[in-house]
Amino acid sequence: MTEILTILNLPFMERALIAGVALGLILPFLGVFVTLRRMSFFGDGIAHATLAGVAIGIVADMSPFLSALGIGILFGAGVYFLERKTTISSDALIGVLFTGGLALGIVLISQQKGYQPELLSFLFGSILSVNSQDLAIILGFSALIVFTLLMLLRPMTLLALDKETAWLYGVRTELLDFFFYVLLCITIVLGVKLLGIILVSALLIIPPTIAKMLAPSFKTLIGVSVIAGEVFIVLGLMLSYLLDLPSGATIILMGVVTFFLVAMRSIVLGGRI
Amino acid sequence: MDDTYAVQAEGLWFSFNSVDPILQDVSFSIPRGSIAAIIGPNGSGKTTLLKVLLGFLIPQRGKVLVLGRTPQQARGEVAYVPQRFTFDKSFPITVMEFLQLSHPKCSKEKIVQYLSHLNMGGMLNMKLGTLSGGQLQRVLIERAMLGDPKVLFLDEPAAGIDIGGERTFYELVLHLHREHRSTVVMVSHELDVVANYANHVLCLNRKLLCQGRPEQALSPETLRELYGKEVALFHHRDRP
Repeated sequence: MTEILTILNLPFMERALIAGVALGLILPFLGVFVTLRRMSFFGDGIAHATLAGVAIGIVADMSPFLSALGIGILFGAGVYFLERKTTISSDALIGVLFTGGLALGIVLISQQKGYQPELLSFLFGSILSVNSQDLAIILGFSALIVFTLLMLLRPMTLLALDKETAWLYGVRTELLDFFFYVLLCITIVLGVKLLGIILVSALLIIPPTIAKMLAPSFKTLIGVSVIAGEVFIVLGLMLSYLLDLPSGATIILMGVVTFFLVAMRSIVLGGRI
Repeated sequence: MDDTYAVQAEGLWFSFNSVDPILQDVSFSIPRGSIAAIIGPNGSGKTTLLKVLLGFLIPQRGKVLVLGRTPQQARGEVAYVPQRFTFDKSFPITVMEFLQLSHPKCSKEKIVQYLSHLNMGGMLNMKLGTLSGGQLQRVLIERAMLGDPKVLFLDEPAAGIDIGGERTFYELVLHLHREHRSTVVMVSHELDVVANYANHVLCLNRKLLCQGRPEQALSPETLRELYGKEVALFHHRDRP
C-alpha cells in the first residue's frame, strides 16, 4: 500500500495516470461506435499511418505528436473521400494508405543518423514520458471529444445502426460521418502516446467487446466499456511499474486476459458469445 | 404536380455507371392513401426506384415529389422499412431503447401502450439482436409508424420470413395503414401480395410498363412482358 502511494506521488506517474484516465475514457467510449460500425481495422490503419507523421516531426525538428496528429487527420479524410469517390472497398483503401504511411515513415527515419528514442516511444508507447505539454494536449482534446460524443450520442448511434434511416430521421449523415472519422483519428493519435502505434487500437476494441458480453442494454454498454478501459489503464500502469514491465503492453495484456475470462463466462452461461 | 398524389415521379433516369441506366424515363403518380406495390423481375430497378423516391439516391435526370416536396424536404413525414436491417447482433440494445432512440419525443408510456395494442408488449425488454426475422421486421414497422408518417416505404419487407409470418406481417401493415391513413409504397416480387393487399400497382422493368389498379393494370399481356412468361393474378374480394 505504502509503495503504491509512493508511486502515485511521483510527478511522472501523476502525469501518466491523469493522461491514462483521460484516454481510458475516450478510447473505449468511441470504441463502442467503432465496433458497432465494424471499423476496427480503420483504427489500426490510422495508428500505423501516423508513423509518417512521427517521422516528419523528427526530420523537421518539430513535435512528433503534433505532426502525427496532422497526418492522422489527413489519413482519415483521405479514406473518407476515397470511399465515396471510388468503388474500392474500405479495408483495401485502409490497407494501401496505412502501409504507405508506414513505409514513408521508415524511409524518412532511415535518413536520420543515430538512435531515435522518439521513434521507439511512438512505436511501443511511453506513457511515463508524458510531459506537461503532452498532458495539456491530451486533456484538452479529451474534454472536447467527450463533450462532442455526449452531444452527438443519438445521431452517432442512429448512424452506426443504419445510415439510410438515420438520414430519414434528420441526421446529416455525410457530415457526421466525416466528423466521426476526424474524431477517431484524433483519439487514436492521442492514444499512440500511451500505448504506441502497434497496440493503441486494442484499447479502442477490447473494452467495448467485453462490454457487449456483459451489458444488458445500450445505456450500460458505454458505462461498462469506459469502466473496463479505466481499470485496465490504472491497474496496468501500477503493475507495469511494480514489475518493471512495459506499460502499454501490460495494459493491453490485462484487457486480453479479461476478454478471455468474460468470453468463457459467456460461453458457459449462454453457449455463444 | 398535383396535391392529390402522395408520390409523383417525372422522367426519372438513374444509372450507377453512366452506361447502363437502371431507371429509364420513369413517370408515375401514387394517389394519397393508397397501398401501392412496385413489382418487376430481379434487376428491374425496384429497390433503386424506392431509394430514389426516398432521396437516398439522386437521379441523373427527372424529378421526384413526395407530398408535394422534394424527398429531402419531406423526410420528416416519411418512414422506411428496409429489406434487411443489417446490424451488429451482439450490440446489446433493447427494443425499447431502439424505439426511444428513433423517436426521442415519444414517451415511454406511449411506446408501451402502442406495442401492447399490437400484442408486442412482451418484446420491449428483449435485445434487438435476439429477435427472429419476423419479429425484427414487426419492430421495424412499429418504429416506422411511431412517427405517424404520411408515407411508408417498404422494400420487400417480408423477404426471409416464413409464410405464416409473412401473412401476419402484411396484416399488420394493412391494420396500420387503416389506423394511420398513411400511403404505403412497397416493393414486392410476389404477385399474391399485390393481389391481396395493394390497390395501386407500378410494373417496372427499368421502364414503367403499367400503373393503376391491379385488376386493370395487370393484364396477362403486361405480366408476360414484365416477367417474360405466363403469369396469372387472382384477386381476393375482401381486400382493398
